Amino acid sequence: MPTKKSQKIDIYAMTWRLPIIIWQLLFFVGPVIFMIAMSFFLVKNYRMTEAFEFINWSKMFSKNYFWDSYFYTVTIASISTILAMLLAFPASFALAFKASEKIRRWAIFLLIIPFFTSYLVRTFSWFVILSEKGVVNALLGYIGLGPFTMLNTNFGTLVGYMTLTLPLVVILQTITMANIDKTLIEAARNLGCKPLSTIWRVIIPLSKTGLIVAAIFCFILSFGDFVAPFYLGGSQEPTLPILILDTTKSGQQWPRAAVVAIVMMITLFTVAFIGIALAYRKKASK
Amino acid sequence: MTKPLVVLKNVQKLFGDFVAVKALNLEIHEGEFLAIMGPSGCGKTTTLRMLAGLEEPSTGEIYMNDQVMNKVKPHERDTPLVWQSLALFPFLTVIENVEFGLKMRGINKSERKRRALEWLEKLDIIEFADRDISTLSGGQKQRVALARSLVLEPKILLLDEPLSALDAHLVIRMQAVLVQLQRELGITFVYVTHSQSEAFAMADRVVIMGNGEISQVGTPKDIYRSPQNKFVAEFVGRNNILSGTVFDLTNFGAHIKTVSGTFSVSLKTDKLLKGQEASFVISADLVHLSGSNPEAENSVHCKLISEEFVGSMVTLFLEDKSDQEFKVQMQERELSKFDLKPGSDIWLSWSAQSAHLLNVN
Repeated sequence: MPTKKSQKIDIYAMTWRLPIIIWQLLFFVGPVIFMIAMSFFLVKNYRMTEAFEFINWSKMFSKNYFWDSYFYTVTIASISTILAMLLAFPASFALAFKASEKIRRWAIFLLIIPFFTSYLVRTFSWFVILSEKGVVNALLGYIGLGPFTMLNTNFGTLVGYMTLTLPLVVILQTITMANIDKTLIEAARNLGCKPLSTIWRVIIPLSKTGLIVAAIFCFILSFGDFVAPFYLGGSQEPTLPILILDTTKSGQQWPRAAVVAIVMMITLFTVAFIGIALAYRKKASK
Repeated sequence: MTKPLVVLKNVQKLFGDFVAVKALNLEIHEGEFLAIMGPSGCGKTTTLRMLAGLEEPSTGEIYMNDQVMNKVKPHERDTPLVWQSLALFPFLTVIENVEFGLKMRGINKSERKRRALEWLEKLDIIEFADRDISTLSGGQKQRVALARSLVLEPKILLLDEPLSALDAHLVIRMQAVLVQLQRELGITFVYVTHSQSEAFAMADRVVIMGNGEISQVGTPKDIYRSPQNKFVAEFVGRNNILSGTVFDLTNFGAHIKTVSGTFSVSLKTDKLLKGQEASFVISADLVHLSGSNPEAENSVHCKLISEEFVGSMVTLFLEDKSDQEFKVQMQERELSKFDLKPGSDIWLSWSAQSAHLLNVN
């Protein structure tokens, strides 16, 4: 039968697809399923034993420190996202509209360079700059200011988040805005739109999709980052990634750490889903 | 004609070393339909962009209502432009697109809506008011672009090849819409195009540009029948251009000797010297065919090379024995009596009044 023929597996294509499918199953789907299962395990005498109990979930959800950490992480990741989007915008705007094609290409290349070095190394370098006796306080000291405590504060955490996200956000914003049809900006000007208003009236609506994708990336990276809140924020208020570490250390509570991790994943899925839905939303046409 | 609304005085535009427009002088009158026509890269679009303030002249002045406009920013002018790409805002609905300019002028919501609807009605697209731009056809988008500009009630409307993306039959329809709108509103249209048929069908006056300069300004008929120079004659096409030297002068005109023979040309103004080089044109539709030697003053014996049909009009491409090209345009039914095939012999002739002398440049 002809239908049978079309259903026949193409061995050649499968051979090429198989490695990535196996990889994903082994190292992504497998661990996620295991993690979900683990969240129902029990820990007895510091040893994990297989079980199916909801106690980890109810214990975690009844703890104030869990919810404090959750809302703190959502808040600081949101602030990080807004801050990165705002700090990046003028630079991206200049690169997209004022710079020549050549300069834009070089700028994007240079913005990729930070990713060559380890994020941890880049984070540690901030100690030199931000500590009580660091570069910033030394400079401020000359004009009689400070010293300010910048490490082990929310400010420190945010500096770390910016180190992680800003280059990427600038790249994404620049590429998005460089690709919009410049004629539309001229058309707006021609119809009486002031130069600065074109940003709000034309440029942002036209680059909405790319800007939201940049914001989603920024939120995901900040929300899941362990390094910045731990080393620069001093884990004064633990974010969820720090909470995971603490939970595994204290009494080998891997199952409860799994609960935190699952909550994080659900949050990120929700944010990404809503973000993408907004990014690609069409006007309701009647 | 009334007083000029726009005056361009020695306007020049440089992009780096490249001279896009050189020393342009032009008066645009109130209420006229002016077409600026030329091949691509001739500076016609740059000229239009300078009128809209999107480019600033490098030297020279542009006056509107006797005021120098050089430094006036685009958003401070009332010079809406209909773009070649239409440049409608894809994130706004049809009516929001039309309201955009009014919103920028701070007009309140209900007034904006009233005026936008009025124009959508006038352009026959009111049923699409709340639609997305992407759901419209090319012709409908065209009308939205026109409404968006005209709702501002400007004194002058700039159009940059707005019909170039449309199907042939829609072009004809939109031409009629544009001409009717322009007559009704009585405002000035400045229409940039590379299409001779669009320019000649609609414009009161046509400006022919080449290499950043104006080659000729005149009514479509002037340009078609009396091109002033070789560039215009060639650009307008469907012309026979012959070059030679002045053989002798009569009180009626001149005889000009060319490789194809000696022809008489009637002179209107020009003073011509014997022995001087001269070129003249004969419109392809003013050349007559005859099967045998017509024994007329201006005639050539030719061979048919090829023919081209556009509707009921036929253009014949011919060559004489000295390889000079000739073109003849006529109705298909007139041609049928000659029974021509490629390679057939035929005689061409024209009257001295049909020949038009070109300026030497």
